[in-house]
Amino acid sequence: MKSHIQATSYRLAAGVGLATALAFSGNAFGADPEVFKIGGVVSLSGTYGVFGDDMRKGVELAIEQRGGKVLGKPIQVAWEDDETKPQPAVQKTTRLIADGAQMIFGAVSSASSIAIMNIAKQRKIPHLVTMSADDKITLPGASRYTFRTSNTLGMEQRMALAYSKDQKLKRVYGVTADYQATRDSWEWYRKEAEKAGIEIVGADFPPLGNRDFSSIADKIARSNADGIALFMTGSDSITMVKQAGQVGLGKTRKIFGPVIADETMAAGVGPTSVGVNSGVRYHFTVDNAANKKFVEAYRKKYNEFPSSAAGEAFDGMAWWLDVVEKTGSWDREKWVEAFAGSVRENSLEGRKEMNACDHQARQDGLWGEVVAGKAPQPAYVMKIAKLYPPKEIFEDCKQ
Amino acid sequence: MSTIIIGLSLGMLLFLLASGLTLIFGMLGVINFAHGALYMLGAYLSFDIAHRTGSFALGVIVATVVVGLAGIAMERFALRPLYNRPHFYQLVLTFGFILVLTEAVKLFWGLGYKEAPMPALLSGSVDMFGSTIPVYRLFVIGFGAAAAIGLFAALERSTFGMLVRAASSDSEMVQTLGLPASTIRTAVFGFGAGLAGLAGAIAAPLFPIELGMGTNTIIDCFIVVILGGLGNIRGVVAAALLIGMVRAIGYTFMPSWVDVLTFAMLIATLLTRPQGLFSRPVRSA
Repeated sequence: MKSHIQATSYRLAAGVGLATALAFSGNAFGADPEVFKIGGVVSLSGTYGVFGDDMRKGVELAIEQRGGKVLGKPIQVAWEDDETKPQPAVQKTTRLIADGAQMIFGAVSSASSIAIMNIAKQRKIPHLVTMSADDKITLPGASRYTFRTSNTLGMEQRMALAYSKDQKLKRVYGVTADYQATRDSWEWYRKEAEKAGIEIVGADFPPLGNRDFSSIADKIARSNADGIALFMTGSDSITMVKQAGQVGLGKTRKIFGPVIADETMAAGVGPTSVGVNSGVRYHFTVDNAANKKFVEAYRKKYNEFPSSAAGEAFDGMAWWLDVVEKTGSWDREKWVEAFAGSVRENSLEGRKEMNACDHQARQDGLWGEVVAGKAPQPAYVMKIAKLYPPKEIFEDCKQ
Repeated sequence: MSTIIIGLSLGMLLFLLASGLTLIFGMLGVINFAHGALYMLGAYLSFDIAHRTGSFALGVIVATVVVGLAGIAMERFALRPLYNRPHFYQLVLTFGFILVLTEAVKLFWGLGYKEAPMPALLSGSVDMFGSTIPVYRLFVIGFGAAAAIGLFAALERSTFGMLVRAASSDSEMVQTLGLPASTIRTAVFGFGAGLAGLAGAIAAPLFPIELGMGTNTIIDCFIVVILGGLGNIRGVVAAALLIGMVRAIGYTFMPSWVDVLTFAMLIATLLTRPQGLFSRPVRSA
């Protein structure tokens, strides 16, 4: 009899325990949590280390501008450094979700973002990408939970091809970081360029994080190329452009790439960056009221002009939080449904429209050239040379 | 021919960096993980001074001296109390210095890329053997060769070199003879650190200056030191030139295989000649 009472007590205790645990788990992700937790996974070190800090600044300003709250609760962001590697990105995302993150923001590199995307999909956590450009992130039906508000490599490579045609380039030498997204991008460019009658006179695939491009610069100097297409970014593109400048390649050939230059990268290259052409994600000179307000606030807070990484991060997070606010709900599925198909009329870069079928924001494409800046601008700035409407740089989204 | 010149310049840059690392190991038995961070500090200091004063030479001098002084402080106040403890403590300490130096650089110069201007006298390029060679690459080769000769002279021919060699082989005997063994050790660490700062300052106009630059380069530096034989200065010169050539040839003919070639060479050396390609089985300094 005693043992029967004991067993009943244990079952009762276990039942109460389970009920309590369920109640708490419901409280953590359900009706009314104490805070809105965002897990930010960005690169603060490694090849793309410089971008992560700017993304953090953009996100923090977006939160500050709405009084630090969404759905009446304070927003709390926990930042983690993925060291520009997918493995730390996975570990840190998993930990952030375990700590109660209700959405994940990041990362910088596409490899990290794809790794995060898979975890977010499994755990049904909304995931916002504002920097990684790999087209695979927003393939139709890729993930219900991942959204990208910034450029794709596809739209940037289309702008690079359009530039090659506009400049009437006849022979192009390609240098591509040995990385899946950039290799895919180069392969697309190569095929389309050849179709357009542009001869590819050479191609090299140095490893990501390569430290010396002087041999490649020498090979290009000895080729008859009139254009140099660089499919790389971050410190890779800085080193390549800098060392190309040391043998005067920029004076005799057009140097361009989907994403090889912005103010941050031009600052690392110096004078030889002038004349380099590149796709631009966001730019502080875009002429609209939302952007003017943002640039003013950013300069006031950080005493500098916002970089592409900062502008895209601000824009994406502000858009996401506005959508969450409009749902009036703590149900994450409702946030996802509302974001898919939403429209941002007052984006920093003009109108942006979220595709419901691939969760990619359709937007204008900006193409720019590095020129000397005028005070108080940075020493080198991107001058927006051309604007491509979405219909010219996006394919129709088909499920 | 341009491949040879590029290979020589890469080799000489590696020599400048690796010589300090191997000197510190050979004389003090300390594997200084923070050597790459000191190289980074040298590059930032040189960039800063060059921008403020317009003088590349002053930037090089200040970077070498300041980083050397930082090395002296590291040895005197942090490493010296740990000499009698297991090597593990030195490894952890020097690893900790990487974090401290990185945070200090971040605090002073921020996260963004920096650009060290190319000195006017050494900018431009010359046509040689059908290739266009940057003048600065030729300067690096000449400077590296002069530094190697100077280092040999300092270690093999000077009184300081004799004392250093004596202190490294029998520190207690040197102390018994009334010579300041501790001061000599501190001076060697400072000198090795100064060489890292010098390498950073010389490399600064060629590469983007960023927080990760030390981490990226230190791997090549350790490969050079292992190939050359730990503590072997002559071996470091030979190994640095070998790695420089392998990289230059790799970049020219098979860029995506450069790292594979370099690491294959390291693995083959460790398997067949663990004492290094240029050392006898007994370690020599």
